[in-house]
Amino acid sequence: MNGSAAAAPHVELRRVTKRYGAVTAIADLSLTVEKGSFTALLGPSGCGKSTLLRMIAGLEDITAGQCFIDNADVTDMPPAQRRIAMVFQSYALYPHMTVRQNIAFSLSVAGQPKKVQDERALEVARILQLEPYLDRRPAALSGGQRQRVAIGRALVRKPEVFLFDEPLSNLDAKLRVQMRLELAKLHADLGTTMIYVTHDQTEAMTLADKIVALDHGIISQIGSPLELYNKPANKFVAAFIGSPGMNFFGVDIVTMNGRTASVVLPGGRTAEVGISTSTSAGPAELGVRPEHLAIVDPNDPHAAFAGAIAIIEHLGNSTILYVETPAGQLIVEGEGNLAAKSGQAVGLRLDEGHARLFGETGAAL
Amino acid sequence: MSGTADGFDPPAVKIAARRRARLRHWDLVALVFTLITLGLAIVWAFPLYWALVTTFKPEYEVVRPGIQLWPEHFTLEAYIHVLTRTKIGFWYINSLITSVAVTVIVVIMAAGAGYAISQLSFPGRRLFWWMILASFMVPIQHGLVVNHFILMNQFHLINTLPGVVLPQLVAPVTVMIYKQFFDSVPKDFREAALVDGANEFQLLFRIYLPMNWGITTALAIITFIGAWNIFLWPFVAVNTEDKMNITVGITQVHDAFGVSYARDLAVAMLAALPVALVYLIFQRRVTQAIMLSAGIKG
Repeated sequence: MNGSAAAAPHVELRRVTKRYGAVTAIADLSLTVEKGSFTALLGPSGCGKSTLLRMIAGLEDITAGQCFIDNADVTDMPPAQRRIAMVFQSYALYPHMTVRQNIAFSLSVAGQPKKVQDERALEVARILQLEPYLDRRPAALSGGQRQRVAIGRALVRKPEVFLFDEPLSNLDAKLRVQMRLELAKLHADLGTTMIYVTHDQTEAMTLADKIVALDHGIISQIGSPLELYNKPANKFVAAFIGSPGMNFFGVDIVTMNGRTASVVLPGGRTAEVGISTSTSAGPAELGVRPEHLAIVDPNDPHAAFAGAIAIIEHLGNSTILYVETPAGQLIVEGEGNLAAKSGQAVGLRLDEGHARLFGETGAAL
Repeated sequence: MSGTADGFDPPAVKIAARRRARLRHWDLVALVFTLITLGLAIVWAFPLYWALVTTFKPEYEVVRPGIQLWPEHFTLEAYIHVLTRTKIGFWYINSLITSVAVTVIVVIMAAGAGYAISQLSFPGRRLFWWMILASFMVPIQHGLVVNHFILMNQFHLINTLPGVVLPQLVAPVTVMIYKQFFDSVPKDFREAALVDGANEFQLLFRIYLPMNWGITTALAIITFIGAWNIFLWPFVAVNTEDKMNITVGITQVHDAFGVSYARDLAVAMLAALPVALVYLIFQRRVTQAIMLSAGIKG
């Protein structure tokens, strides 16, 4: 990746809308993807992320709006002419062709000589360590190898933009981590623009340099993984990103002094929480990540809540506790060697600097 | 069985005895059924055997009263006559040309039509599909012989091989089977190939057909057998011996002394030979094809 090209828009959606009959899947959405970036489209199923990707690929018609790739309007262009390559969730490897034929298929339909096809297939197979399997059929490959062939088929076309549609969701957990690393390495080596659809926030956080969080066909937030994690623009992003998920509970804003608001927590204690917009006193929702709650003595004067541990999960590197409090059940992430018992009375201290307030519309305050 | 280890468990012994009795009973039932099926198989196969044996008999033995299960004088006279004195060579070649032509054209057309209905969106697609379904209600090969004759006559194709082939190309069942199979191909394959730059022809011939290769062979075999065995239409459409199919040619094997059964059956045996061979070689595929078309017809 070179610095000067990094800022240039490479894929651009201008006010695109997608309707299926009366149902609007995507409404008036605009998005810019910079050259060489790794952008993740993240959201729950049905949020329109795959539709968006397929619109960029040319596999779905765009009802209204325009799509640009490399400053060329490709809105009505067939997929093959868009200089994109796509990796499908199912891999869609042609079962009757060998790995070599699968990889070289696009060259073959373009009428490239056999020699060129073989050379390019071999070149790609080397990059993906598929050389020993070139004459095998997909049925004789493992999940990870199939995944690599699917990537190879995309790679051989030397595309401007790579599109990935949940490519790792069919793999087991261990292989997923391994392929994730390989994808990150591939992106680092090639520097090609990649757009990656996933519902897995870990994949998005680890791979992407930009995440587009989608909710019901609308962009909820665009930003770097840490921006989305630390400064979620709304409750949807706050809830979707992070595992275990953020705790939410109702609070009352009593006073505001500049950048902080004083809130009354369930149970009666108060806390000072940072805000970035001015708001009026009244009910709001407070979001706290599990790692920003700490187990303290029940009689600790600084504890925000008093409660009892309901369930403990030891994960080795951390301990997840479900604590019953006046704010409902809160998830707390503690250290791996935390000594605690189910039913034990505890106090919870709140890291006020990391708590986020959300207004009635769900937008961050 | 949850009996004791030493086996001295009266209820268990009783159960075992009852089971043995039941098994004996079943053995008897199975035997009766086997005998019945065997009897039916003999009833079915006997005419074939009779026809085959007759071809090796001299004519005077054939017409002799009584049942003679084996020829007294084994002779190949009937075959020699058929192979040297009739136009069986022409009939064979005509049958081969028309059957292969029908098979190739039907398979390609049906695959194309099935693909279009299954995968493309064009105005009138549903109407087209309904018409194909409706045409299935028409007994094309038998009910429309007169229409075919008039049509082929107007095209000046009576007594020509194209005239024999053309009316046999209407094969709605084949289109339906292809459509069903193409419907079941996951749409990711189509999209992956589209992204790879394949056009519709490449999609059909390089993805969809090879992915359904078993169906194509099955349909080709059943179409070939059907085209080889067809009698009524070639019988109506052709009036000179050199244009006849083998099935029609059988009717021509007689001389001034009338019908000779051994010769008639010899030519019938020769006519059935390729179909029998195809069946023996591709047994599994043929069964599959029959089940496929029966499934759709059923």
